[in-house]
Amino acid sequence: MERRGFPIALALAALIVALAILSLAVGPAGLSPRAALAGLFSGEGPAGIIVRDIRLPRTLLAALIGATLGLSGAALQGLLRNPLAEPALFGAPQAAAAAAALVIAFGFAPVTSFAVPVAAILGATLSIAALVAVAGRRASLTVTLLAGLALASFAGAATALILNLAPNPFIALEIAFWLLGSLEDRSRDHLVIAAPFMLASWIVLATQARAFRALTLGEDAAASLGVDVARTRMLVVVGVALGVGAAVAVAGAVGFVGLVAPHLVRRASGSDPARLVLPSALAGAALVLAADIAVRLGPSAVEIKLGVVTALIGVPIFLSMIFRERRLLEEGAS
Amino acid sequence: MSALAAKNVTVRLGVREVVHDASLALNPGELVALVGPNGAGKTTLMRALAGLIPADGAIALDGKPMQSLKARERARAIAYLPQGHVFHWPMSVASIVMLGRAPHADTFSGVTPDDRAAVVRALKITETEAFADRAVTTLSGGERARVALARALATQAGVLLADEPTAALDPRHQLTVMALLRQAAHAGGAVLAIMHDLTLAARFADRVAVMDRGAIVADAAPSEAMSHDRLAAVFGIESATVEIDNKRVPIAGRAL
Repeated sequence: MERRGFPIALALAALIVALAILSLAVGPAGLSPRAALAGLFSGEGPAGIIVRDIRLPRTLLAALIGATLGLSGAALQGLLRNPLAEPALFGAPQAAAAAAALVIAFGFAPVTSFAVPVAAILGATLSIAALVAVAGRRASLTVTLLAGLALASFAGAATALILNLAPNPFIALEIAFWLLGSLEDRSRDHLVIAAPFMLASWIVLATQARAFRALTLGEDAAASLGVDVARTRMLVVVGVALGVGAAVAVAGAVGFVGLVAPHLVRRASGSDPARLVLPSALAGAALVLAADIAVRLGPSAVEIKLGVVTALIGVPIFLSMIFRERRLLEEGAS
Repeated sequence: MSALAAKNVTVRLGVREVVHDASLALNPGELVALVGPNGAGKTTLMRALAGLIPADGAIALDGKPMQSLKARERARAIAYLPQGHVFHWPMSVASIVMLGRAPHADTFSGVTPDDRAAVVRALKITETEAFADRAVTTLSGGERARVALARALATQAGVLLADEPTAALDPRHQLTVMALLRQAAHAGGAVLAIMHDLTLAARFADRVAVMDRGAIVADAAPSEAMSHDRLAAVFGIESATVEIDNKRVPIAGRAL
């Protein structure tokens, strides 16, 4: 019974491998999956260069970012004990984007420097810390969502202000596109910058899985079972901020993965917030890989932005969840 | 030696002093009922006893000061059942009850035979084994209350603190839950239960502590602690007394 989470994790891992191979094969220069794999392992010829230098970083980033977002969603849901929690609803990516935009717009740092993810992580930390502080001990659904809405709006306004005051229109346009979320033309440099922060976030969040399970009984009962709830809260804030900040710094705002990924694997994990953690990360990786393949398959000459696709998929799922959770939401409002 | 002893405990929540200079000892083998009007500070005192909120004064577990214990040591020794029986996720009843074993688990250890045995036993004595595989959120209020109790019993702690364990239960299950608490006490545990049903408290508790406006105003055998005059002073009720099982048991008559 305790191990029921593993078959789904194995199935998702297999799906990720298949999607990753597909992701290496898809692009302007069409390669068969076999040719892509040959290029990946030999590194020779045009296929080798395309796959190793262009598509491999992009594919790895998609998987890492997806896993980070899925894990962040599962962690926030576990901490706040509600299925509608997701980094983007709480303004974390928006705040990260605002902070990163500030650094880029005013030329404090080039786009590929460590200053961008550090700024993004600080932005995300501030927003999530503010959310957890405002939501308080009971973390009622209504209060949490309203606080998240306020923070997201504020971060959005801050970004708009930065665009408004940007020193020249090219920078403004660059930031605007970057904000839509994309993995186009991401290189090994981006991978090197973001991966350490994301790995750190995984470690921090995964250590809190058991605390999430105990928190299903509420904070007092969890504390009586030996969980240091204040520490868990702190570590989730830091872990989500590290991961989301790094993801936003590289790929811009890729929303709703943190909402959708845990939702897809919740039933298979017996609704256990601890067993949900690994499958959520894997489902997030698969989702972003699939979305990043989809943007490259589109008929349009301009690549559709990744963040646009995840939002188009995520928002209907979010609305349908709200529809089903209406009773819960209305209780939370009373 | 008392399993859990509080001496001159004062608890402030914000600027308000909610518990004032309370002393209470829980001994192995004893079921103690904590009664008092709404807002008397019962839950706050219990949370302090469980080590969940800071308190002035001295709280000792098996003679050792509470502050000197690690959270997990404390969690193994004191099981706490909060009021309301909250379950946020539709987890199975069996995995909820297994949470009671969390204080015994190490970071990398799986479920041990001891854990399994404790869970099976807790499910059995609370009559919840029939829905062990059901999602806890699909249960009725009374069923949830028993699952919550099963979770607390599964810890097999020496001290059990239960905040209104019989709220939301039908009369039959109120009796079975009180019998379970008494059984846990007579098996060597120290049990404290916050109660609003004075009749049940008098029937089942070995001792009754009465709380009023933050202070413990009586701590004695049930008939003495809940005398006619004290119930009038503390609860503002006129009470009658009936005899059940050779025990004199108060019944609330009318509001004064």
